[in-house]
Amino acid sequence: MTTANETTIKDQVRQFIREELAAAKGIATFTDSESLTENGIIDSLGIFRLVTFLEENFGVRVGDEEISADNLQSVDKIEELVISKSKKK
Amino acid sequence: MAYILQQLLTHSAGRFPEKTAVWARGRSISYRELEEQSNQLAHLLKTCGVKKGDRVGLFFPKSVESIISMFAVMKAGGVYVPLDPQAPVDRIGYIISNCGIKVLITQDERRRALDAATRESLERCVVINQARESGNGSGVIPWSALSEYPASHPPVVTLTETDLAYILYTSGSTGRPKGVMLSHQNALTFVEWCAAKFQITQEDHLSNHAPLHFDLSVFDIYNAIEAGATVHLVTEDIALFPTTLAKFIETHQISVWYSVPSALVLLLLHADLKAEKLPRLRTILFAGEVFPMKYLKQLAELLPAVELDNLYGPTETNVCTYYRVDRERLGSLEKLPIGIACENTEVFAVNDKDEIVSTPGESGELYVRGPAVTYGYWADVEKTKKMVVPNRFQKNFEENIYRTGDLVTLAEDGNYYFVGRRDSMIKSRGYRIELGEIESALLSHPAVREAAAIAVPDEVVGNRIKAVVAAHSEISIKAAELQQHCGTRIPRYMIPELIEFRETLPKTSTGKVDRIQLSRESLPVAV
Repeated sequence: MTTANETTIKDQVRQFIREELAAAKGIATFTDSESLTENGIIDSLGIFRLVTFLEENFGVRVGDEEISADNLQSVDKIEELVISKSKKK
Repeated sequence: MAYILQQLLTHSAGRFPEKTAVWARGRSISYRELEEQSNQLAHLLKTCGVKKGDRVGLFFPKSVESIISMFAVMKAGGVYVPLDPQAPVDRIGYIISNCGIKVLITQDERRRALDAATRESLERCVVINQARESGNGSGVIPWSALSEYPASHPPVVTLTETDLAYILYTSGSTGRPKGVMLSHQNALTFVEWCAAKFQITQEDHLSNHAPLHFDLSVFDIYNAIEAGATVHLVTEDIALFPTTLAKFIETHQISVWYSVPSALVLLLLHADLKAEKLPRLRTILFAGEVFPMKYLKQLAELLPAVELDNLYGPTETNVCTYYRVDRERLGSLEKLPIGIACENTEVFAVNDKDEIVSTPGESGELYVRGPAVTYGYWADVEKTKKMVVPNRFQKNFEENIYRTGDLVTLAEDGNYYFVGRRDSMIKSRGYRIELGEIESALLSHPAVREAAAIAVPDEVVGNRIKAVVAAHSEISIKAAELQQHCGTRIPRYMIPELIEFRETLPKTSTGKVDRIQLSRESLPVAV
């Protein structure tokens, strides 16, 4: 069950980043472990669009202090954040 | 007194050999190490064939090696060209060919990503992240080779202050970036003014928020080195996250901060800044775009003891005017002045009758005169002639002045106020963007018949970019495809966030695309 959920989370995150953030930066492909800040997919405003998406889509609350590279730098890290937040709910 | 930039380092290395000069990505380097390693790299570059005046590209994310490389290139007599590590390879290839770079300092994966023609045009690549043992292509030299060269002294080169130090590429209206040539004297005019004005000392800790291909970084790097202070490079993993960035300012005990206003606005909105956590912070400098008054007032209240200065100036002059924020006047100010001329620089506005503006309230195009003014654009005599022009207001001797293209108003108190642009250049996050360059990227796609790029004003980043496109009816095209196409030609900060498709674009009576009409129809981008 967990596996199915985790796949879903990752797919949704990947799709949002691909369609809403990467496309506008002219980038078509990226890997789950790639740094989205280093490759320029996420910029200073993209970060907040991503956080809004996570909050609205997964019903989690991401505080300003949690908006960090450790939590949001890659698709893998974003998934970890959403899972750990969902468990605490 | 220093007349070439590398003397700043040599002087400080003599005074404070063991002090930390640069911090980046968890590593730091002392003044002695910076002096020695830049000497070694300079010798290596000489053996690569770098001669006086040769351009050397720096193409990797900013790090301790960036600063070593900048000094090393100048010590070898060369001119460094910082390349945006996030720019598409097509643009990097253009710049390498435009300014004839034969030696590139880069990372192995970036070297491999360059197109074949560009790779072949390079005679040597110094690769910062490759071990000596691994298989190298011909002409590829690992960073570790530095150890074979003398550390105690730089190669012998004869330079004067009028030699070029670096070239900064900025957006060009004809679809290709243009290289602004800056001499040692251009840079030092600014650095020496800053040193005196902001009293930078060896006790200071400076941040470096701007990318190295952006002229704001000139202050951070050279004023830190001049004073024997420490410069802390802010990388993307810190810069993009306001809370992380605030923590960085606190733990690194930054005393002098310099960035575009939008970086400060994001800190204000999302980082819970507190004066008591930043006891060392004494000066905040900002430049590159207009600081929204609402947020500047908040910043001034939040950090009551911090001096705030608005610096203004195109890359072609570094900084030419400044305005020190007066907290008592701030409440009644509706707009922030760009201020008065820096020392050793003269500015004046020229009205439509080609007279120098002397009456308060009058507007004109701002001109800049003095040793900070660029020679012009690399390999672009036409563009240079248009912007760096003979001084027709002074007949005693020949000299050039720079036309900024910025319209300003002279106020009663002698301060200038920025009013707008004469052309279609805009600013977003402090970056100069020529809308024409975006349009030519869009038009290079076979499906695009007509295209207009429009700036949509934004409170935080200054402007966001929207494009209105008319496609050839027989070809279907999606916004994402066009954005991806732009991504191969222009930097990410220039790609339109929103692309609207229309049958045809509105025209003025002379048949040109009616940008005013399009701007009026463009509400702020909904994101």
